[in-house]
Amino acid sequence: MRKEFQLSARREFLANSLRNAALLAALASRRGRAVEEVGTPNPFAYDVSRFSKTDPKLIAYEETARWKCPHAEPRRIAISPDQQLFVCAGDYVSVMSRDGQRRLEITLPEAARCVGVAHDGTTFIGLRNHIEVFDAKGQRRATWDSLGKKSWLTGLAVGENGIFAADSGNRVILHYDKSGELLGRIGEKNKERNLPGFIVPSPYLDVEIARDGLLRVNNPGRHHVEAYTLDGDFEGAWGKPTAAIDGFCGCCNPIGLALLPDGRFVTCEKGLPRVKVYSAEGAFESVVAGTESFPENAKACSGLNDCVHGGLDAAVDLQGRIYILDLVAGGIRVMKRKA
Amino acid sequence: MDTKPKSDKPVTRRQFLRNGGRLTALTGLGALGAWLSDRATAKAWVWQIDPAKCVRCGNCATHCVLEQSAVKCVHAFAMCGYCNLCTGYFNPEPNALTTAAENQLCPTAAIKRTFVEDPYYEYTIDEKLCIGCAKCVEGCNRFGNGSLFLQIRHDRCVNCNECSIARVCAGDAFRRVPADQPYLLKTTQAH
Repeated sequence: MRKEFQLSARREFLANSLRNAALLAALASRRGRAVEEVGTPNPFAYDVSRFSKTDPKLIAYEETARWKCPHAEPRRIAISPDQQLFVCAGDYVSVMSRDGQRRLEITLPEAARCVGVAHDGTTFIGLRNHIEVFDAKGQRRATWDSLGKKSWLTGLAVGENGIFAADSGNRVILHYDKSGELLGRIGEKNKERNLPGFIVPSPYLDVEIARDGLLRVNNPGRHHVEAYTLDGDFEGAWGKPTAAIDGFCGCCNPIGLALLPDGRFVTCEKGLPRVKVYSAEGAFESVVAGTESFPENAKACSGLNDCVHGGLDAAVDLQGRIYILDLVAGGIRVMKRKA
Repeated sequence: MDTKPKSDKPVTRRQFLRNGGRLTALTGLGALGAWLSDRATAKAWVWQIDPAKCVRCGNCATHCVLEQSAVKCVHAFAMCGYCNLCTGYFNPEPNALTTAAENQLCPTAAIKRTFVEDPYYEYTIDEKLCIGCAKCVEGCNRFGNGSLFLQIRHDRCVNCNECSIARVCAGDAFRRVPADQPYLLKTTQAH
């Protein structure tokens, strides 16, 4: 009796074991297939990884300092004639020394989007649809008229001939005198005047006054940097669309411009965040910082995100040092040309 | 006030069974009525992709039970920038911004590029050619505003009980939606 019971239990045990093993094997195979399916490389992958690593031979600058942006949501950086940094971030414009010390802060009723400074220290700050004027001590002196609902100011340049405001919403550069009187509209599409018009899919129109007295404006939708006289005549353009290092990537780049003391250009891109130097004629020369230098910024346009936000801006001091503002990581980097 | 005394007569087994039978019959009728009424108003459900969760993994092109996937790229024209260089249309290093095959990103040339006015172009999806691989969707999101996205087209989908793409979706983007609102479209507001 005892023997029979033992036999029966052993048979039962073996049968159960076999059944469980089969079940486990089936489950493992199913799980394995699922893992394999999920882990299989995507045969349709949109691969731009080869552009995210820069050839070291092309990198002509090195980082000498880095500090955190004083406030969240940075947008633009500019440098004044007396070589102070002006950083637009959130509802503030912070005035900083070139070693990152905060000297003054201007608080605004809404987000500061761009800034320009005159020789006498007068500071012009672009809000979404109008410009506010402050003296060198940060006291408000004037608020100019609103440009309307469609307006979206994103760049300012201040020179002896006036203030030039880049309006991404209306795709135009507005020329003001220092009292706020509108003198002209530059760059609007006009076939008779051979003006191509700005293409601005995302709000990153920028303007600079070059040493040759012409305005330089990025035309992101055409992947160009364009030159205009102060009267609005189109003088020429350079730039080509490609993700390769010598061109401008994506649908709409460059998004920011700065000028080196010798007249060469510093350009900023989003999507593949990178800062590069071009000759005054528009020939690619070198990389200041490649995509690998801005991992958080690069992530802003990957995964679940689209590429409406993110990007970089730059300002240049009289010694040719480049100050890069990272719009995603919120940092400011000082880049110096390698010896 | 007089109250009628309760009957002291005990409940017989027959009475108990009869009452029990009545109660069971009534409950059954009630349940049947509820089931029929529920069935009359019940919603039908279909599978759909949540564009906010889609990670463009490519599985939609390869895992549908249909020979050519029921998942197609769709275009939110209200969001589109009508770009000259559409990163959903052109490969990252185009030789030129022309419709030549070597410049196109789509493996089946399912996107049609039409000139609107300088320098704007309209991009439309030829659904007969689209295999739902999401290569263009990734290109559009990577550099643009994501106006191209994937949706299950219900004129093709056979609405499997267990969607074979949903089983392997890397972003867990598949979910059931009411059949009377079968699409999860991107809008400028939502954006």
